Amino acid sequence: MNLTLVFQSMFSGIMMGSVFALLGIGFSLVWGVMKVINISHAAFGLLAAFMSYTLLNVWGIDPILSIAVSVPLLFLAACVIYRFLIAPLTKARDIIVPSMILTFGIAIILENLMLLIWSPDPRLLTTAYTSKVVILGPFYFQYPRIAGFLLACAGVVVIHMFLKKTYTGKAVRAAWQQRDAAQLYGVNLRWISMITFGLAVSSAAAGGVGMALLYSFEPHTHNLWLIYLFLVVIVGGVGSVLGAALAGLTIGIITGLSMAFLPYQWVNLLTFALLMIILIFRPQGLFQSEV
Amino acid sequence: MPSWPRSSLFAGAMIVLLALAIFPWLGAPVYFVSLLFTVFMYVCLATSWNLIGGYAGYLSFGHVAFFGIGAYTTALLVKGFHLSALETILSSVPAGFVAMLVALLVGYPCLRLRGPYFAVVTLCFAFVMDLLIKNLNFLGGPEGLWLKSMDLPIQTVRAILFEAMLGVTALSIAVAYWTDRSKFGAGLRAIREDEEVAQTMAINAPKLKMQAFALSAFFPGMAGGIYAYYLTYIHTDVVFDMMISILIVLMALFGGGGTLLGPIIGAVLLTLINEGLSTFVKAELARIIYGSLFVGVIIFLPNGIMEFFRRTQGESPH
Amino acid sequence: MKQKPWEKVVLFLLALALTLFLSQSVGAASKPIVIGGSLPLTGKFAETAKWIEKGMKFWAEETNAKGGLLGRKVVFKIYDDESNAGKAVTFAEKAITVDKVDLLFGGYPGTAARAVMPVAEKHKYVYVSMGGHMKSFLQGYTYSFGGPPLMGEWWYEGFYEWLKSLPAQKRPKRAAVYTMNNPIGTSLTDSIGRISRDLGVKLVINEKYNLPLPDATPLIVKAKQMNTDILFSNGFFADGVMTIRAAKALNYNPKAIVQGVGSVIPAWVKELGKDGDYVFSGTSLHNKLNYPGNDKLNAYVKKKYGLPGYPVYFGFGYCWMQTLSQGVEGAGSLDQTKIRDWLKSHTVHTIAGPMSFNEKGLPKPINFCTQVINGQVELIWPIEVRTADPVYPRPAWK
Repeated sequence: MNLTLVFQSMFSGIMMGSVFALLGIGFSLVWGVMKVINISHAAFGLLAAFMSYTLLNVWGIDPILSIAVSVPLLFLAACVIYRFLIAPLTKARDIIVPSMILTFGIAIILENLMLLIWSPDPRLLTTAYTSKVVILGPFYFQYPRIAGFLLACAGVVVIHMFLKKTYTGKAVRAAWQQRDAAQLYGVNLRWISMITFGLAVSSAAAGGVGMALLYSFEPHTHNLWLIYLFLVVIVGGVGSVLGAALAGLTIGIITGLSMAFLPYQWVNLLTFALLMIILIFRPQGLFQSEV
Repeated sequence: MPSWPRSSLFAGAMIVLLALAIFPWLGAPVYFVSLLFTVFMYVCLATSWNLIGGYAGYLSFGHVAFFGIGAYTTALLVKGFHLSALETILSSVPAGFVAMLVALLVGYPCLRLRGPYFAVVTLCFAFVMDLLIKNLNFLGGPEGLWLKSMDLPIQTVRAILFEAMLGVTALSIAVAYWTDRSKFGAGLRAIREDEEVAQTMAINAPKLKMQAFALSAFFPGMAGGIYAYYLTYIHTDVVFDMMISILIVLMALFGGGGTLLGPIIGAVLLTLINEGLSTFVKAELARIIYGSLFVGVIIFLPNGIMEFFRRTQGESPH
Repeated sequence: MKQKPWEKVVLFLLALALTLFLSQSVGAASKPIVIGGSLPLTGKFAETAKWIEKGMKFWAEETNAKGGLLGRKVVFKIYDDESNAGKAVTFAEKAITVDKVDLLFGGYPGTAARAVMPVAEKHKYVYVSMGGHMKSFLQGYTYSFGGPPLMGEWWYEGFYEWLKSLPAQKRPKRAAVYTMNNPIGTSLTDSIGRISRDLGVKLVINEKYNLPLPDATPLIVKAKQMNTDILFSNGFFADGVMTIRAAKALNYNPKAIVQGVGSVIPAWVKELGKDGDYVFSGTSLHNKLNYPGNDKLNAYVKKKYGLPGYPVYFGFGYCWMQTLSQGVEGAGSLDQTKIRDWLKSHTVHTIAGPMSFNEKGLPKPINFCTQVINGQVELIWPIEVRTADPVYPRPAWK
C-alpha cells in the first residue's frame, strides 16, 4: 500500500473538488429555487476567468482580487438577463425545458463572443505563486490549489450565511421550500428570483477563476465544466449549498482514490459509472437536501 | 392538429415520400443528397427522442449513446462477417435491436428516476458508453474503425444511403404518428402530466415508459448503423458526441415536444439554418446568430414553434 | 406595446434574413482558381485551424502577387465545420459538387481528416493534408497526400536518433509514459516502443488516460516514486501543461521531459514561460529550417503577429498549399488525376524540404527533434539542422 500516493492524490482531489463545488453551487441554487437549468452557468464562469486573465496580464492584478471586478459585473449582467430573458419564461408550461434551450443559446453566444475577443488560444493564469508549494512531511500542497480551496470555502460560507442570516436569503429559502406560502407572506418572488440568479451567476465568477487557477482554458472549455456542474448538483442534491460543497469533496476523493488505485484509463469511466449508481439508488443526492 | 380524413393524409404522406425518394436520382449535386441525408438523420433522431422525451416527458440527454451503439454494431458486424454492401445496409436492423436491448437494460433502473435526475443519468450513460469503447481495443478503441465504401460511383453510393435513411426516418415518423393517436400515446401523455395520477387511472406507467424508451432507442440505432456506412470512419468522438445528444433534445423541444410535427420542424429548421449560417456568415458570427435564434424563439414561444400554430388555431372557436 | 406573437416572429426572421444578406460576400474576380474545403474555425480545434487558415491565406497572397497559379488568381472558399467531422464531410462534398472548386485544401483535426480522406478519394480530388496518422494512410487511398503529414508515429523519431547518439551510460534508464487515449496519443507511443527496445530504456510506467485529465498530481507522484529519469507526456496542451506544472510543484527532476503535440503551439511558450523550457518534442517542419521560404514566412509572421518565428500550424497550412500548387503547375492543369500522378512521380520543394511521395501518399519519414530553450523552439536533431545544443540533463526546477 502506497500511502504517500493515496493521500497525495486524495488531498489534490479534494482541493480540485472544492473548486468544482464553488462553480456548481450557483447552478444548483438556481435549479432548486427557480427551476431554471442554466446551461450558460459555466460560460459565465469562463468569462470571469478570461477577465481575470486580462486584468492579470495588463495591470498585474491578482486573479483572486480580480473577482472583486468580475463578481459585480456578472451580477448586473445576470439581473439584466433575468429581467429580459428568463422572467418572460414563467408563462411556459414548465420552465425547466425552455430555460435550458434559452440558456444553451446564451452559452453559444458567450462562447463565440469570447472567441472574438480573446481568440481561440489556450490560456493559463500564471501568478508569482503558481508553482510555490507548502511541503508537509511527504506531502506537497500547491499554492494555486490551496488558493482555489480557500476561495471555495469562502464562497460556500458566504452563500450559506447569506441564505441563513439575511432577510433576502431567508426569503430565497422560503421561496424554495414553500412557494405559495412565501408569496402569501409578501415575498416578492420575481425580486427574489432576480437576486438568486444574480448571486448564482456571480458565484460562477468565483468558481471560474478557481478553475482557471487549476486548468488551462479556451473559449469552448465551458462545455467541459458544464459536465462537472451536473456532477456536483446531482451528487449534492438539487438546490443544496452544503450538499454541493460535500459533493465537490466526494467527487474529488473518488477521483483522487481511483487515480491512486486504478489504471488512469478507467478513472473517468469509473466516475461516471459511480455517478449513475448514486443517481439510481439515491436520486435525492448523497446528502439530504436542505438549503 | 387538423383532422383530415385518414386516407387523404396517407396519400399526401406517400406523395411527399415518393417525391423525396426520387430526388437523389435527378442528378442534383451530391452535396444536396448528403445534406438531406443529414436532415433526415436528425428528423429521425428527434422524432424518436420525442417518444420518451416529448410524450412521456422523460428528457433523455444521452440519446446519442443509441446512435453510437448502432454505428458500432454495424461496423463490428461488417468487420466480423465481411458483409456485402446490401448486407451492411441491412445490418442497421440488428443495430437497431442492439440499441433497443441496451435501452431496456439501462431503462429498467434509470426510468425510475424523474425529471432532471433522469436527464443526468442518461447523460452519464452516454459518457460511460463513449469511454468504454475508447478503452476496449477489440471495439476499435481510441483508433476507431474504418469501413470499406461501396464499389459504386459516389452519386449512387450517396443515393442508396439516402434511401435507407429516408426509409428509417419514414418508419420512425409512422411510429410517432401511431403513438400520437393511440392509447399508448395517451398513456405517455398522462405520465407526463402527472405520473401518480396516471398510475391511479390504471395506466401501467413503468411498462409504458420502458416501451417508449426502447422504441425511442431503436430508430437512432438504425440511423447510427447507416451513418457509419455513410461516414466509413467511425470514432467515438464522432458518434458519441455529446453535442448530438443536446442537439436532438433542442430540435425536438424547439419545434415543440410531445407533438408529431414539432421534432420534424425543429430538426429541419435547425439543420438548414445552421448550414446556411455556416455558408454565408463568418464563423463566430454565424454561431452567435445561431445562439440568438434559440434565445429569440424561446422568449416568444417557450413551448416551441408548434405553439405558434396552436395559438393561431386557438383563435378560431372550436 | 402589445405585439402579436406572429409579428414578433416575422420581425425576428426579417432581421435574420437581413444579417444573412449583408454578410454575404460580394464581388468575384475574373475566373480565379477556387480552393475550397472546411476548417474547424470554431469549437474545440479552433486554435489550430486559425493558424492553418492564416498560413494558407499568406500562400494565396504571395501566389497572387506573383501572378497566380497557371496564370489565374487563387481564392479560398473556407467553411467552418465547428470541429465536427460529420460537417467536415458534408462541406467537402459541398465544395466539390456545388461550388465545383478547382482544388480541395486539407484540414485538421485527425478525426476530420480521417473522415474526409475517403470522400476525397470517392470524388477523385487530390487532398493534401496532415492526414489522420499512419492508419489513415494505410486504407488504400490514392488521392490523399501528407505533404507533410502530422505523423504521430514519426513524432519522436528525431528524439530517438538523438538519444542513440548519446553514450549509453548517459541515456535515461527508466521511463514514465503517460499517453492520452485517442488516435494522436496512441500513434505517439509507436516510437517509444522502439526507444525502449533499441536503447534499453525500461518503460517502468506506461499508462493511458482519457481526456479531460482531472488531475496530474498522482501521475507525477508515481513517476517520482518509481525513480523514472525520463518522462513522456503524450498529450495536448491542457493536460500537457498540467503535467508540467505538477512536475515543477512536486519537484520531480527527470533527465528529460518529452512532450507530444501540446508543446508545438505558440501558447506553450507564451503561457507557460520558463516552466515550458527544456521540453523535447518533434516536428515535421520548423521555422528555423534552412529550406528556402522559411525566412520569408518568419518575416511575415513577425511583422503581422509579433512572433519570433512562424507557428507550426501556420507552416503546415502554407506547406500543403505549396505541395498542391507545385502539383498543379507540374501537371500544367487542374485535372485531379494528372495532379495526383505528377505528385506521385516528382519531387516537391517546400519549406519542409524536398518531398517525394510513395504509393500511400507519404514522403520519407521526416522528423526533427526539437527542444524549447529560453522560450525558443530550437532544432536539436539531425545534427545538420541543429540550431542550439540540447540542454541535457535538464536543470532541476528552481
